[in-house]
Amino acid sequence: MTSIERDTGAPRPITRIRIEPRVNRKPIWTFSMYLAATLFGLVLSALLLWTSGADVIKAFSALLNGGFGSQKALVATLAKATPLILTGLATVVAFRAQVWSIGQEGQVYAGAMGAYTGYLMLAGLPPALYIAGIILCGMIGGAVLGALAAILKDRFDVNEIISTVMMNYLIVFLLSYLIGGGPWTEVSTSVVYQQTAPISEAAQLPALFGSSKLHLGFGFAIVAALVCYVVLDKTPLGYEIRAMGYNPVALAYRGTNIGRTIVLVMILSGAIAGLAGVSEIFGTAHRLRSDTLFNLGYTGIIIGMIGGLRPLGTVVAGVIFGGLSSGALYMKLLAQVPAALVPAMEGILMLTFLCAGVAARYKIVRVQTDG
Amino acid sequence: MSPILRTVNLTKRFPGVIANEDVNFDLVAGEIHCLFGENGAGKSTLSSCLFGFYQPEGGGLELRGEPVKFRSPRDAIHAGIGMVHQHFVLVPDFTVLENIVVGTHENGWKLNLDEARGRVEDLCREYDIDLDPNATVRNLAVGQQQWVEILKALYLGAEILILDEPSAVLTPEESIRLFRIINHMKELGLSIVLISHKMVEVMQSDRVTVLRKGKVVDTVRPGEVTPKELTRMMVGRDVELRVIRDRSAEGAAAPETVLVVDNVSYRDNRENLALDQISLTIGKGEILGLAGVSGNGQKELFEILSGILIPESGNVTLADERIEGLPSRQYMDRGVGLVPDDRFREGLIPEFDIQENMILGWQRHDDYTQGPFLNQKQIGTIAEGLIDEFQIKTPSATTPVNHLSGGNAQKVILAREFVHSNKLLLANQPTRGLDLGVIEYVYKQIIAKRDEGFAVLLASEELEDLLNLSDRIAVISGGRITGVVDPENTSIEEIGLLMAGERKEAAE
Repeated sequence: MTSIERDTGAPRPITRIRIEPRVNRKPIWTFSMYLAATLFGLVLSALLLWTSGADVIKAFSALLNGGFGSQKALVATLAKATPLILTGLATVVAFRAQVWSIGQEGQVYAGAMGAYTGYLMLAGLPPALYIAGIILCGMIGGAVLGALAAILKDRFDVNEIISTVMMNYLIVFLLSYLIGGGPWTEVSTSVVYQQTAPISEAAQLPALFGSSKLHLGFGFAIVAALVCYVVLDKTPLGYEIRAMGYNPVALAYRGTNIGRTIVLVMILSGAIAGLAGVSEIFGTAHRLRSDTLFNLGYTGIIIGMIGGLRPLGTVVAGVIFGGLSSGALYMKLLAQVPAALVPAMEGILMLTFLCAGVAARYKIVRVQTDG
Repeated sequence: MSPILRTVNLTKRFPGVIANEDVNFDLVAGEIHCLFGENGAGKSTLSSCLFGFYQPEGGGLELRGEPVKFRSPRDAIHAGIGMVHQHFVLVPDFTVLENIVVGTHENGWKLNLDEARGRVEDLCREYDIDLDPNATVRNLAVGQQQWVEILKALYLGAEILILDEPSAVLTPEESIRLFRIINHMKELGLSIVLISHKMVEVMQSDRVTVLRKGKVVDTVRPGEVTPKELTRMMVGRDVELRVIRDRSAEGAAAPETVLVVDNVSYRDNRENLALDQISLTIGKGEILGLAGVSGNGQKELFEILSGILIPESGNVTLADERIEGLPSRQYMDRGVGLVPDDRFREGLIPEFDIQENMILGWQRHDDYTQGPFLNQKQIGTIAEGLIDEFQIKTPSATTPVNHLSGGNAQKVILAREFVHSNKLLLANQPTRGLDLGVIEYVYKQIIAKRDEGFAVLLASEELEDLLNLSDRIAVISGGRITGVVDPENTSIEEIGLLMAGERKEAAE
């Protein structure tokens, strides 16, 4: 049909190249596309580093060593990867249903705030129960924010992209108020920092492998990935989520309540994103402040996309970007690379990865023409 | 008169099939020439060759006696051939004028809308087309959008116009207007190739070329043959569907009523009355045929009877239970099966494999789950069984249905709906676009269900089929039931009148 459109009337020569989706994608092709993307991204990054006058080889080896070179580096990488995997999974759940939620950012904040509320209200419970309660409150916080967007979409046909973005702003400003002069603000002698008082040890997530950085949150991320995988691939709800992503009309025709499914999707997605907030505040920062949470949700969207909207792919993508951001610190220190170049490199890699995703899904074919 | 356009032993193959074989077809200047044949007979392939969209492997085209070769539709357009496709290629938010001018690049890259407007207005006057060039296409009726397509072709200087099933999307009134325009164009010297499988249109043309299985059966003048003879030429035998007709024996002894539709009305979201006080009953073991031009309320009726739409007023009673307003889930649980007319959009998840589609809507049913999980093994076994039973041609049960042919995809829907329903079967255009063999199979399956005691509502554009299969035929027009007729004591003409909106008083 597209060819007909193109061909009627236009006196230009007909296009002989067409982009078509790949049928029967081979995993090896997908893999090599991502490999090529990594290399290409590194080459572009090297160019960028070179123009800044840094020693490219030194910078890259610092990056690699800092990210994956030692056990300590690896632990730091996994710690960085934890929230990204979680927000990535939140993206996977929503996007697989073709619910275009951009609300992961706000849900991270809502999760952290829900958990902090639980922390204040549940104090005095036995330790295990206390932590479990805090985690649950965090998940509820994210889920409520997600469900709100879903209900707006279902009842009033409000576009979820707009509602989630707007709620991201709302929730960030709400937190600013609460910790920047509001009731949760740390009481100090003279200045007001944008943060709460430190979280008591009883409420902190236990560390893993005796590390100071890696904590139970990483366990959550892995469990959440497995749960997402099982739910999406093995349960009726997952069937409905995938079916809704492909063809909501047929799903509704055959008796599935689309509105209810959207709400479930957003509850699930929000709860997972909320978990990222809990993990960062109660595992890493040990006090509620907004800069630790900043941008985790937006990065998660990219992680989920790079992971091919698959739970296990998202774990891999999260670990790679975790390594990148922890290695970047070393690069800054050891190779005197300007700090601003690190996010620039991350951006370059994200772009090449997204291109690889397209290259893995589509092919360019030459259209045969006679004569 | 010498032909203006002619094919000589034209042959076009697609992998595994010969779509056109040794086709000799000629179009005389100033005639309406109908290409008549079933779906898959090669009408569209032939017209695509005439329009340069396909290039024939054997034989060739002659234009005004000269051999020509069209490498693309662009060449055909330059040679004065225009084509109006069944599915319009219009930009809804553009005006009529913009749609006509877009892509023509007649003044290079500069747009001269005023000059174009003058020419479009001239064309409208010349061909007696009543259309405002400044109207936005989105706001036009389907019939008017078709005129825009025709104007597009005329604007580019077409002398030969190929119309691909132009009335498929039109109301009877719009069809009549379209044919008036077509006849007027013919009088002004245009030559028209009309693709159709509707007898009424065929009989209005000057000559008919009947295609069957990619070959020309014959070229005749409609006045010299009867519709029955034409049908035989098209199908290649006396319509065999009659053989499988075998009305339910207990039909005479007033069957118990399964479905009662009582005064159902429905307004669509543009506040048009899509259904206007529809009343119907279907009994156990009965097939009620639903005849009508598509777009006269059939879709809304099927959607109400399967719980997808909620009627504005009126009652729907299934087995003595009022069910209007319940969600579609409840209809399914009460044994209502639905074969929707847009199978890939409404009946299937195209990216899902066959076994996943076999359980669409029943994914939470105990048969397919084990605890909280889908029981893949069980689903696979049941799907394999259904693939066998319904003779679905597929490499495996895990093949995505968008890799299947239309017929096999339709069988997936039939299999699913048949095993999961037990009282009422709603089939909206179940054979549209299918090969004759599959059509026969589908009808046999529907008859088997009727014999099991299902009540069946069957809508089809093929009146012959309805006459053969139905115990009674209800005719719908403009959202109203204009009559219910007995297939034994009716004629295509009578149904045609009812389809055109003439009411039959004292309908049974």
